[in-house]
Amino acid sequence: MFIRIENSSAVPVYRQIVDQIKYQVANGSLRPGDRLPSVRELAKRLPVNQNTVLKAYDLLAGEGLLSRRQGDGTFVEDAPSALKKSQRVRQVSAILAQAAAQAVHFQIGPTELHDLLDREIQTLSRGGQTNE
Amino acid sequence: MSEPGGEIHVQQLHKRFGRHEVLRGLDLDVPAGSIFGFLGLNGAGKTTLIRMLLGLLRPDAGHCQVAGLDPRTDALEVRRRVGYMAENQTMYAWMRVGQLIHWLARFYPTWDPTLAEQLRRQMHLDADAKVGTLSKGQASRLALLLALAHRPRIVILDDPTLGLDPVARRDFLRDVIGHLQEAGVTVFFSSHLLYEIEPICDQVAILHDGKIIKSAPVDKLRESVKRVVMQPKEGARLPSLASILDADSRDGTWALTVENVEAVRGPLTSMSRDGLRLVDLNLDEIFEAYVTGRREELHA
Repeated sequence: MFIRIENSSAVPVYRQIVDQIKYQVANGSLRPGDRLPSVRELAKRLPVNQNTVLKAYDLLAGEGLLSRRQGDGTFVEDAPSALKKSQRVRQVSAILAQAAAQAVHFQIGPTELHDLLDREIQTLSRGGQTNE
Repeated sequence: MSEPGGEIHVQQLHKRFGRHEVLRGLDLDVPAGSIFGFLGLNGAGKTTLIRMLLGLLRPDAGHCQVAGLDPRTDALEVRRRVGYMAENQTMYAWMRVGQLIHWLARFYPTWDPTLAEQLRRQMHLDADAKVGTLSKGQASRLALLLALAHRPRIVILDDPTLGLDPVARRDFLRDVIGHLQEAGVTVFFSSHLLYEIEPICDQVAILHDGKIIKSAPVDKLRESVKRVVMQPKEGARLPSLASILDADSRDGTWALTVENVEAVRGPLTSMSRDGLRLVDLNLDEIFEAYVTGRREELHA
């Protein structure tokens, strides 16, 4: 599992870890049943505070994306999201709102924006990395 | 995790050098087992405080407690319980690494030779190398080794990454997480590079004008400090709210850096023509707002 922390980012470190794990699960580079590095291991590797990694893992476990088995480790879950549909929609809407604002700013029309979104979804399902 | 009073507890500390009042009523609490980032501009008084914590300098007034002891009366005992790595630490250049380790061991009753040897190997330090020939990165690792080998319960690092290249810096932070956080040691880490220490800290405190102007967990700081961008209504006047750290106006738009978003959301929304746009800030920007923020009178 590759995680990259951007130090001067306005995105909090635990968020960066959460987002990157979600992306890797979405594009299939992390699969259900895969074991994640231990909190200590990942903390040392990045390097970030252990509590930050713990916070990210706990958050993902709370959303049902990971399961933490006592004494055994942290695994990617197969189960459907533990969040309510409305909560999931709200989270995605917030991100799309930003994308829509950027599109307007860069004069990218609605059709083109839809195409771009379709393309990203296809890239994910092919297991690809983000382009550009 | 934290015990009452904390591993380092400072109350109303004052220190003056001649006419220059460096510390003017500094309060600080460092929870046991935490990695605590101590931030301040160069010359803000970070090293002055650290020297007082170690009993190397006497405060004019106020009180501090380190590992349950008063450094004014128990300096020697404090230094046995605290590992200290000074800014630009000078070591005996003519000694060999192994000799220096061996020589220092005699000053500490709790020195652990097995740990010292293990750290030396992990840090890839050649026992036969002359201290004077080490690179800056190697020298800082050696200084860290010397600060750790007597198994202190608190480690004080005074701007330890100063002068290190990015690779050596990253390795150093990795050692802090790997050797110190894992062992449950309390780490007090002073720096002027905020973005660098943020990922490894539980909590940060900002020293400015001789006082701690903010002390908070890193995530809390990021969640509560935001930039608010808004278009004020005709004739609106910026209220003087304590939580506004910085205010700037350009082309009919206000950009405000606020400390407690939720407290000002109401009053600001009622003054805005288009609602509020909230922008996340990185730690450098947050630090800047606290240290150099200007609360100007703004009129729409």
